[in-house]
Amino acid sequence: MHLDPFELHRPSSVEETVSLAGRLAPAFDYIAGGTDLLPNYKMRLNVRPNLIALEDVSELRGISLDRVGAMVRLGELETDPAFGSAYRGVVEAAAEVATPLVRASGTVGGNLLVETRCFFFNQSFPWRKSLGFCLKADGDKCHVVPQKEKCYATFSGDLAPTLAVLDAEVEVAGPDGRRRVPVASLYDASGDGIQRHHLRPSELIVAVHFPPEARTLRGSYRKLRIRPSFDFPELGVAVAARQSADGGVERLALSVGGLETYPRRFDDLTRRLVGERPTIAKVRELADAVRQLVRPVHNTALAPDYRRKMAGVYVRRSVAEILGVAEETR
Amino acid sequence: MGEGMGESTPVRLRVNGVTTALVCPPERILLDLLREDLNLTGTKRGCDLGTCGCCTVWVDGKPVLSCLTLARLVSGRDITTIEGVTPASGLSDLQRAFVDHGATQCGFCTPGFVMTATALLRDHPHPTKPEIERAIAGNLCRCTGYIKIVEAVAATAEGRP
Ligand SMILES: Cc1cc2nc3c(=O)[nH]c(=O)nc-3n(C[C@H](O)[C@H](O)[C@H](O)COP(=O)(O)OP(=O)(O)OC[C@H]3O[C@@H](n4cnc5c(N)ncnc54)[C@H](O)[C@@H]3O)c2cc1C
Ligand code: SF4
Ligand code: FES
Ligand code: FES
Repeated sequence: MHLDPFELHRPSSVEETVSLAGRLAPAFDYIAGGTDLLPNYKMRLNVRPNLIALEDVSELRGISLDRVGAMVRLGELETDPAFGSAYRGVVEAAAEVATPLVRASGTVGGNLLVETRCFFFNQSFPWRKSLGFCLKADGDKCHVVPQKEKCYATFSGDLAPTLAVLDAEVEVAGPDGRRRVPVASLYDASGDGIQRHHLRPSELIVAVHFPPEARTLRGSYRKLRIRPSFDFPELGVAVAARQSADGGVERLALSVGGLETYPRRFDDLTRRLVGERPTIAKVRELADAVRQLVRPVHNTALAPDYRRKMAGVYVRRSVAEILGVAEETR
Repeated sequence: MGEGMGESTPVRLRVNGVTTALVCPPERILLDLLREDLNLTGTKRGCDLGTCGCCTVWVDGKPVLSCLTLARLVSGRDITTIEGVTPASGLSDLQRAFVDHGATQCGFCTPGFVMTATALLRDHPHPTKPEIERAIAGNLCRCTGYIKIVEAVAATAEGRP
């Protein structure tokens, strides 16, 4: 498949990148590893006339326990021993993205902003044309929830939930300077599958920063998908916790991706366990509440009822495991 | 900096040790350039979307998907294709093992597997079976069922035919 022509820009500093972006916005896309963008361009999904390549911007590199550059490849992250022992959940998620070949190119920044997915969107141009285009690309109606004027495409990045539970922040640069945004508030229910994050069109993710507290937490990631390689998440459950010496919960956070248009935290529910000695009954209560709140729609391979039910199962298993609560066996 | 739309200034690409100056528009994909401009048709186009591994080549020795790589972004890097890992005459030990173990049937996926597995054996000469399985998890084969492929890689690592 040949791509439609575009202009390719190769800045070498963050400042040069964002001033170029400021001039071109919104008629451009950043390209990092290209593993999400190029398949979409091949299917002529929202193609733009300019690409700004981040390949030569050296400030976007580097892994430490405080900071991971946006251009760090997922393959580098998953094999960094120090990072892996500090942030188990993040590395579990990175190692389950796609395949080793995709992770050799795919980056952390690209994963945070991976395009939302839908069975009616991730299709070739002739396929979409024959059915009639949809809101997210070239059309004016939604095939999944036709009665609504919004897009329900699913948030399908694996890293974001694991970073959100650690209270990690992204460092963002724009033509007007730099700012920090918590990963957990990069996306929320006010957006949809089209307005999928709160960055401005010219803004660039420079790095992910970890607060010192993140290193005191234990984290994990559980991913539901059909094949254990290749497939995007049909559900992704990230948890992070810390307990006192006597087992009391000092901190607990939960973020669920792969189900709705954004990775969702459940702070109101997890707060109820803080200060408590965890029991399987309390963990079940939390898992049941999550299952009742989430609203997947029918736009991925697995049925929404099943994904919803599995959200309850995975939350129960992950929280019980991280808090060391034995599950009853029958 | 900016490179003009569809502009055709030649770029220098180093493929299998040979540097060539080529006309290469910004939207040219590495896979298309290898197959259509350089006639290196050993690298296969399967899905063209990152979902099969048939198009695997090395960039600076690391296996990547050429169907998801803009050719201009790898100018100045070392590109190696299946033609570059095949000896001038005969086959490499790994290629021989693929034949002997029945790890190639229709053969369409084989160049991709050979690129991935050759890099694995170079970096980890004695992989375990699970390590082999993990390394080839991005290469699809619709014929063999993978068992013979894993056996061929393991046999090469153990130095037995
Ligand atoms: C077969 C296959 C399977 C996949 N499976 C998964 C999966 O299981 N889980 C998953 O999470 N992903 C999956 N992906 C998607 C993708 O490979 C990963 O999400 C990857 O991490 C994206 O990174 P990239 O650098 O390639 O992004 P790109 O394709 O370069 O960019 C993706 C988006 O992010 C923007 N962007 C990139 N970097 C920045 C930055 N620094 N600042 C601002 N914007 C930026 C781009 O403009 C673009 O909109 C899969 C892809 C393929 C082809
Ligand atoms: S949810 Fe609706 S609008 Fe969004 S991509 Fe799918 S069909 Fe299109
Ligand atoms: S052709 Fe590149 S992964 Fe299938
Ligand atoms: S031998 Fe036919 S696809 Fe692998």
